[in-house]
Amino acid sequence: MSLLEVDDIHTYYGESHILEGVSLEVDAGEVVALLGRNGVGKTTTMRSILQLTPPVEGSVIFDGEELVGRDAYEVAEAGIGWIPEERRMFTRLNVEENIRAAVPDGDGVPAALETAYETFPILRDRAGQRAGDLSGGQQQMLAIARGLVGDNDLLLVDEPSEGLAPQIVTDVGRALMDAAEEIPILLVEQKLGLALDLADRFYVMDHGQIIDEGETANVSTEDERLRRYLSA
Amino acid sequence: MSTETTDVDMANSWPVQYLQDHTVHIAVVLLFVAYPFVYDILVDLFALTAEMVLPEPRTMLTILALGLFAMSFDFISGYTGYLSFGHGAFFGIGAYFVVLGYNGQIPLLPAELPFMMLMLMGALAAALFALVVGLLAFRLSGVYFAMITLGIAEIMYVVSQHWDYLTVDDSDPATGTAAGSPSDVELFEPVIGIPFIDPLNATVHPAFGETTFLGINFGDPVIVTYFAIGSIVLICYFLMQRIIHSPFGRVMIAIRENEQRAKAIGYNVFYYKIGAFMISAFFGAIGGALLIVINGTASPDTTLFFLVTGFALVATIIGGLGTLAGPLFGYIFLEGVEEFLARKASGGGLQPWLQEILPGSVLNASVSGVTVDEGMNAFMTGHGEFYTGIIFVVFVLFVPIGMLGTLRARLGADSVADWATTRIEKFRTESESEAGVEPPASETDPEPESDSD
Amino acid sequence: MIDHLALGAIDLLTSPGDLSSVIVEGLAKASLYLMIATGLTLIFGLMDVINFAHGAFTMYGAYIAAGLMLALVTAGMGFGTVMFIFIVVLALVFVLLAALGTVLEVTLVRRLYEYPPIYQILLTFGIAITLEQFMRMIVEFRNINNGQWNFDWASPRRQTLPSELGDAELLFIQFTNLQLFEIMLGALTAVGIWAFLNKTRYGLFVRAGVEDEEMAKALGINVQRTFTIVFAIGSGIAGAAGVILMWDPLWSTSVPLALDVLLPAFVIVIVGGLGSFKGTVVASLVVGMIDALGTWAFTTGVIQFTGIDELMIFTILVVTLILRPRGLFGVEGMGDHG
Repeated sequence: MSLLEVDDIHTYYGESHILEGVSLEVDAGEVVALLGRNGVGKTTTMRSILQLTPPVEGSVIFDGEELVGRDAYEVAEAGIGWIPEERRMFTRLNVEENIRAAVPDGDGVPAALETAYETFPILRDRAGQRAGDLSGGQQQMLAIARGLVGDNDLLLVDEPSEGLAPQIVTDVGRALMDAAEEIPILLVEQKLGLALDLADRFYVMDHGQIIDEGETANVSTEDERLRRYLSA
Repeated sequence: MSTETTDVDMANSWPVQYLQDHTVHIAVVLLFVAYPFVYDILVDLFALTAEMVLPEPRTMLTILALGLFAMSFDFISGYTGYLSFGHGAFFGIGAYFVVLGYNGQIPLLPAELPFMMLMLMGALAAALFALVVGLLAFRLSGVYFAMITLGIAEIMYVVSQHWDYLTVDDSDPATGTAAGSPSDVELFEPVIGIPFIDPLNATVHPAFGETTFLGINFGDPVIVTYFAIGSIVLICYFLMQRIIHSPFGRVMIAIRENEQRAKAIGYNVFYYKIGAFMISAFFGAIGGALLIVINGTASPDTTLFFLVTGFALVATIIGGLGTLAGPLFGYIFLEGVEEFLARKASGGGLQPWLQEILPGSVLNASVSGVTVDEGMNAFMTGHGEFYTGIIFVVFVLFVPIGMLGTLRARLGADSVADWATTRIEKFRTESESEAGVEPPASETDPEPESDSD
Repeated sequence: MIDHLALGAIDLLTSPGDLSSVIVEGLAKASLYLMIATGLTLIFGLMDVINFAHGAFTMYGAYIAAGLMLALVTAGMGFGTVMFIFIVVLALVFVLLAALGTVLEVTLVRRLYEYPPIYQILLTFGIAITLEQFMRMIVEFRNINNGQWNFDWASPRRQTLPSELGDAELLFIQFTNLQLFEIMLGALTAVGIWAFLNKTRYGLFVRAGVEDEEMAKALGINVQRTFTIVFAIGSGIAGAAGVILMWDPLWSTSVPLALDVLLPAFVIVIVGGLGSFKGTVVASLVVGMIDALGTWAFTTGVIQFTGIDELMIFTILVVTLILRPRGLFGVEGMGDHG
């Protein structure tokens, strides 16, 4: 049995049918990339797993438990962390408070801060600064740090490299690679090279459905089929 | 649900729709016309039972004046989305203008000008005041807009409570100023009608003394006043309704739906908002003037007070925000509940009815030292607001688009109340499929089924 | 007129006794305003729920406290005993109103968080009308204050305010000890709420949930429960404010107290800026000081307009909004939507 089993979920935004039966699995110890063009439903898939946009049909089983119908905070308590697109800092809170907010248990705060600052030393220097004043790269680091300290068994990482300078993309990629050794990851990433580097397996989405899947070991960034799926 | 579809459909089925509109309009107006006579008949037949359930015609007068005010509140708040929380200011200007003008206290104006003239001048004054307020307030939005309008109205309220100028003699301005010089309601005889065509004019009278129409002295002064006021409210309603259906009204709704988009399309939304605010103030002030026809007295607490606007808001929600006619029906409901539980037995109500129906043994039965009659006296009679409040909470929770809004949604019409509907029904997917799945062809004019005076 | 005011100002500035009295009174008024506005700023400023029942909570707090104080305090009691009873009553009222707030939040208010804000105004307005009218029923039925809900019920103050809280003098400064007590409670409120928001985990959750509810949930914060707690605390403080208003000579235990409290509280929260507790504290000080100045101007005859207090408050509101459309410390994006 897989760690995360998403089975035939259908999700709507108002009247529009966004996910038309998505099924995927993430096993313990693996990184899975979710590929596809913009607007095919990758982020919605994550939001549906997190119950932020609950699916109307289908099931999401995590660690043997059904998540559909539960509150979003319970999903987080169950051990799924989210590193969203656009970072979603609490901009009016400082760096330290942002990390504190991600720790499920008050007693774990000192250890959590230590973990975060060890992974990204720059955050230690900025601890008292408002998160809204950080640079884009630092915000991404903080977002990843929040995911790491949350005592999670699975991370959903959405477009971690978006809008970052190449040097910082490398840093972020390394941090995710380190994280992946301990926590399985479901990754959405536009940069195919980075996605294939990080992931063990991949799914390809189009029009709210999974249309292909495979092992990253068998494909390259030059792969004809993949390029066709992803070209605009 | 968008306004564009409505535009197209309106053009397609315009003649049919026009007739349909007017069928409903005429029907509702006829109901209003018949009401006082029906009331008399029912009271003759069923005595106290009818008196208990129906608001008496005297109450209907207040409902008409306050209903017009609530409609003007809905005009700005329901259609542009800007909550005019100090709307009582305009109601107050209309009321005080008539009183002060009639008493000769307004500079440059001779005393005892005809009522209709004072009413229109007061309405214009309110519109000008709205221009000033709007220039300050429309730089803000949301809660901030609501609060600045509230602040301005409250300043006027406090001033009106303490400003000696508002009274002729040494009486306390907080208790109000009566029309009729010097300050005597008995002397105040407003004439409602078409200027210079005397036979069409009705002389009405807050004291309900001699009340004539077509030169004839009808037996029942309330009925003459009812029709005189009713006609003005009807005209005001149709004017506002026409504006909302005009291109100007379309822009108002566009502002409510998405102000940024309206701006991007190229409308100068600032001017439209101020224009709508001025129109709304104009009609709100007419409501205030009509209150003077009924009461003869303008007082801070019945005109400028924050709760006057508060109850207009309540009526608007019960009737339906963004339905224009809804607030009037909301007021019928509100005042109906008040009268049902009124302390004074004159209008009939629950307690007099129960006192007649129940045997003395029940009335005097004692529950822990208190008789049933005393209990009613303490917990029902005169405490209409308690029950109104509960009903209101229920409405907000379960009928958030109001009576008229719900009626229209049920009949499959694309009501202008959709602003609320669509925003709320995101969270109520089931009811959405009920009202929203109708094919566009059946979606009609935003004001289809029920409008009235 | 201007000369008159200028002369008055010179009078005030050259009289250290008057000036310091005005300052003490201003601080006392500011403390009361802060206590009134704190509950509202938690619920309205942070959660963006416009609670019109706020004033009714304060009015209930005042009535409950008045009833308890009249029942418990007797003429022969010493200062310490009375103050002890007062503190117990204060705590009890806080708990009772917090419980009422919790019930209302869980059963009614919660359903409307996702609605446009106007519906929260409407719902709480309905609750306010109902609560107020219910108190009128009780007042009439129990024949409290001869069944008159609209007149001051001054007896709780006359009968239970210890004489030790009366007039006092220090050097050339004249004040009442009640004013000092009020200032103390106001300072405690400010420090307490500041510490709650900035030093506790729940405070952190509140601030996180207010800024980005969805992200907070995704991090495992039970935002719903956090909001319930904030609503409870806000309601409790509103009630506790009523307890001290019961003793203050300028306020009174009466049903209209609900509205008398609601409007200034709104003004202070808006003037301070939505989403900023610091703003509320500063706005309370500004409004309190200007209010004290107005009162001084009226009592000394510089200004001869009886409604000066209320007039000042609403003028501050309008002027602030004209000059700073988001209040003094308002947070961008809060309260802008219809």
